Amino acid sequence: MELSALRLDELQPLIEALDDLDLTGFEFVSFHAPSRFSQQDEMYVVDCLRSAVARNIPVVVHPDVMFNTGLWKSMGPSLFIENMDKRKPVGRTAADLRVLFERFPDARFCFDLGHARQVDPTMIEARLILEAVGDRLAEVHISEVNTSSRHDPLSRYAISAFRSLASLVPESVPVVLETLIDQGQSDILTEIGRARRALDQASLSLAG
Amino acid sequence: MSESGIRTPELWVDRIERELGADWPAIRKARLLTSQKRAALRSAFQEKISPDTSLVVFGSIAREEMTAGSDSDWILLVDGQATPEHGDQKHTIASELKDLGFPEPGRSGVFGCMVGSHDLVHEIGGEDDTNSNTTRRVLLLLESLPVGKREAYDRVRRQVLNRYLHDDRGLVRSSGQLKVPRFLLNDLTRYWRTVTVDFVYKQRAETGRKWALRNAKLRMSRKLVFASGLLRCFFCHLDPDAAAAREALRRPQPDAAKLLAYLENELERTPLELLARAALRPQIPRTTAAKLFNSYDAFLSILDGDKREALEGMTESEMAFSPVWNEIRGLSHDFHSGLLDLFFGADQELRDLTIQYGVF
Repeated sequence: MELSALRLDELQPLIEALDDLDLTGFEFVSFHAPSRFSQQDEMYVVDCLRSAVARNIPVVVHPDVMFNTGLWKSMGPSLFIENMDKRKPVGRTAADLRVLFERFPDARFCFDLGHARQVDPTMIEARLILEAVGDRLAEVHISEVNTSSRHDPLSRYAISAFRSLASLVPESVPVVLETLIDQGQSDILTEIGRARRALDQASLSLAG
Repeated sequence: MSESGIRTPELWVDRIERELGADWPAIRKARLLTSQKRAALRSAFQEKISPDTSLVVFGSIAREEMTAGSDSDWILLVDGQATPEHGDQKHTIASELKDLGFPEPGRSGVFGCMVGSHDLVHEIGGEDDTNSNTTRRVLLLLESLPVGKREAYDRVRRQVLNRYLHDDRGLVRSSGQLKVPRFLLNDLTRYWRTVTVDFVYKQRAETGRKWALRNAKLRMSRKLVFASGLLRCFFCHLDPDAAAAREALRRPQPDAAKLLAYLENELERTPLELLARAALRPQIPRTTAAKLFNSYDAFLSILDGDKREALEGMTESEMAFSPVWNEIRGLSHDFHSGLLDLFFGADQELRDLTIQYGVF
């Protein structure tokens, strides 16, 4: 499960709520940092996120908002860097990510399949990304990301594209569904089924 | 040495010039002029290219062979949803290029327009793969340069390459040792043959307008582009740097991703660089390299000077008596002879590949 404070004003309330949340039923919990804030707010954001790290909850961060390397480096392996969609200037490609992980050598990798497919629908870049930084893989995000960079329910084409990488994603890596169903586009169980089809290595080996 | 002080690897062309003790000032001058023009383009189009689009230029600016009278064919490549500003962008591009001193693209309609990525990627062969579509797609691979935002360009080029490799059953599924992308090679050859046939078509349709200059370019730069395309395909098999890619194709579940990455990297090299690299192969006599590059340098020199004007205005009837045209003919014979030596000469590997893939 991923707790998400994508907007800056969501951060403090969610951090304050951590003590009251019953997270014991989840095998894996991470915390998604705000996706947009200024450099002036960076210290405040990192201070808040340290509360999550102190509770052994890793933090997923977009690389374009990590201005001060030292602040984030101190999170060590609790820092998960996510690959970006095409709107962002950094973190989209294997080459970008290699450079990022040189800056943050202890950090781990959150692999967003939808972002990777939007950047390169052939999924070649996704494969190159896994070759480059797959040894740091700690979490996977799965969704369809459309041309407006909005997360959509998984289409059969996205499922097919993601299946091409399924053998490269260890079964032990937690998968977070990011498909938006807020307007009834789909439902949770359907999306879980689709995600399983996309990444189920057992069904791949049977099919192979 | 780059501007940052980092030592950059020697270009193949420079190496061959050094090893031959040759002097190719026109090639160097063209490279310098190209660099200046590219910088001007980047500056002019900063912030003017909207998301999911790329301004793509073709021709001598992409080949690093610009001369005084070089024009620039271009397209606005759109790889995403349609937006109102695409139409404005097209006009902005035409206007900015004119302000920068680039002559307008030709009248064929292939360039100077908005082009969606869909047909480039999905219509390879078949009724809907028009002359224009094939031209844009092949030149996107062999002779193009993105200006400003390049994400759309990179995406589309990768998708095109992916089609050529993924759909090449012989490449992906064959147990044979030769790993040359035949589907790609065939399309490049089809394009070259189309160019030669269209040359005659234009001769008839445009009543000899710019015929001499067009003829000169066909004999030299167009032929170079095709030759470089062949070499890009052959190097997939010959290049030690592509060994891992070839190995990945031989696995029980063949994987063309590494070959695609290799080809993408190689596409960054200019046609002259490819030619130089081939000419430096151990079995190729130095006389072949000299023939190829001496003639090409002289050709660029003609395009860069007063003789270009003579070519532009020359009618077919004047060509028989023109010393400039005679000079072009002589250079083109040397260049052609050099290419024959390269592909059919002493280098057995290259010769065998040319025979195996270049005819049928």
